[in-house]
Amino acid sequence: MEILTQLWKIICDLIASSGFGSLSLENYVMVLVSFVLMYLAIKKQFEPLLLLPIAFGMCLVNLFPEIMGVPTTTLETAQQLIDQGLNPESYAKTVIDGVTYYNHIEYGGLFYYLYQGVKLGIYPPLIFLGIGCMTDFGPLIANPKSFILGAAAQVGIFLTFIIATALGIFTPEEAGSIAIIGGADGPTAIFVTTKLAPQLLGPIAVAAYSYMALVPIIQPPIMRALTTKKERSVVMGQLRPVSKLERILFPIIVVVIVAVLLPDAAPLVGMLMLGNLFKESGVVDRINKTAQNELMNIITIFLGVTVGATASGKVFLTIQTLGIIALGLFAFCLATGCGVLFGKLMYLATGGKVNPLIGSAGVSAVPMAARISQKVGQEENPGNFLLMHAMGPNVAGVIGSAVAAGVLLSVLK
Amino acid sequence: MDNMTQAFILLLAGFLVVFVVLILLIIVVTLYSKIITSVQNRGKKKETTVTPQTEKKPEPAAAVMEAADEDDGEIPGEIIAVIAAAVDAVYGAKPHKIKAVRKSRTSRSAWARAGAADNTRPF
Repeated sequence: MEILTQLWKIICDLIASSGFGSLSLENYVMVLVSFVLMYLAIKKQFEPLLLLPIAFGMCLVNLFPEIMGVPTTTLETAQQLIDQGLNPESYAKTVIDGVTYYNHIEYGGLFYYLYQGVKLGIYPPLIFLGIGCMTDFGPLIANPKSFILGAAAQVGIFLTFIIATALGIFTPEEAGSIAIIGGADGPTAIFVTTKLAPQLLGPIAVAAYSYMALVPIIQPPIMRALTTKKERSVVMGQLRPVSKLERILFPIIVVVIVAVLLPDAAPLVGMLMLGNLFKESGVVDRINKTAQNELMNIITIFLGVTVGATASGKVFLTIQTLGIIALGLFAFCLATGCGVLFGKLMYLATGGKVNPLIGSAGVSAVPMAARISQKVGQEENPGNFLLMHAMGPNVAGVIGSAVAAGVLLSVLK
Repeated sequence: MDNMTQAFILLLAGFLVVFVVLILLIIVVTLYSKIITSVQNRGKKKETTVTPQTEKKPEPAAAVMEAADEDDGEIPGEIIAVIAAAVDAVYGAKPHKIKAVRKSRTSRSAWARAGAADNTRPF
């Protein structure tokens, strides 16, 4: 009988410590949400490089919350440690009022340690380093006016900030983090959110990457609605060739100007430009390849799973998340609209030489947004190649959203 | 100061800073591009005036190549060898055979297409 009671107790303990006993309904709902995201990443190929690790991180943290567990240190006496079968001599000592205590450390979960790279703002600039190695700023140097379209698309960020603040359910710091979704730049959104509203990181990262993946669906109707057939048919002249010296000087000049004027944007813009200098200098081919391949892939894995792991049921399934998703979409549409409207302004100012469609590429999301400009332009005129012209505002948008992030950080931090 | 006032101030400051920084970049990039282009053009002009004789030397060879092209429309043997080597590098051990070498009839140059492919390759 005694044996049966013991056996029953062990089974009860096992059930209590298993997922059935410790997980709440919210956790199971989040596991289902992660399955949907995995489906979108694998079947629909929506930004799979990031959405897949994010979804899996989300799934794992809701099944086993301790994986994000924070390390703890408790002060225990030698006797307490011996009772637990531990050797006090292997622990650091702390003496309080003449009594010796031992620092009994419980280590955190795997994702807790990987998450430090997000929390301390290390991963997003490293991702920017890789992006810099892959970005060709040639079209922007050939047509520097594209910078203005990159700036115009950032207007959506600040207008969304006003609306998010006016709603009253978000603090100014949270509103700033939500508004940056309009920049359509995942690493920037994560960088700003970890500094301003780390508690919203999960929903904001998921919203930012989802909208970036939905660029081909969200942008074209706005672009068509705001332009006339005549404007969309404009064929732009060929860009001038850019010399190697210009390409090498560009990252150095940009980093000097941005870092001096806006130091808060320096980590992002600095690493972006360092990567680009690796590429354009042509003398550090090995580093260039590592930064854009191995390093970028490793960081993408760590960033994805740990950002997904911040989306636990209690944090994610709230009214705030719905607000973030709605406001994020609004910010993104507004940024696209502002870009196109500025494109129209340039169309008028240049006497019809600029196709307003390239304005929508100002929302970063490289190179998808530029491809959309190309695609919508070709619908009107199959012989029209807007891609290289749209790459200018597109890469200007990356710099623009990093500058906008710098403004938000310097004012709200 | 309430949140809305702060938000409006941030809105104005944000517009101003983003546009000022990017307009400054437009000015700087335009200026240095002009300086570099003019310096490089000057350098090229000097080269052409100092060495007028060296330019004449390759003319006979070029003329022979042009004549060969115009005579029978055939592609020179060296070019075919290079294309064959490139095809071999791509296909490797797979069995393959080059049946014909023709100029592609696209409106864009090979360099422009390579540039577009480079820029549109997903990250």
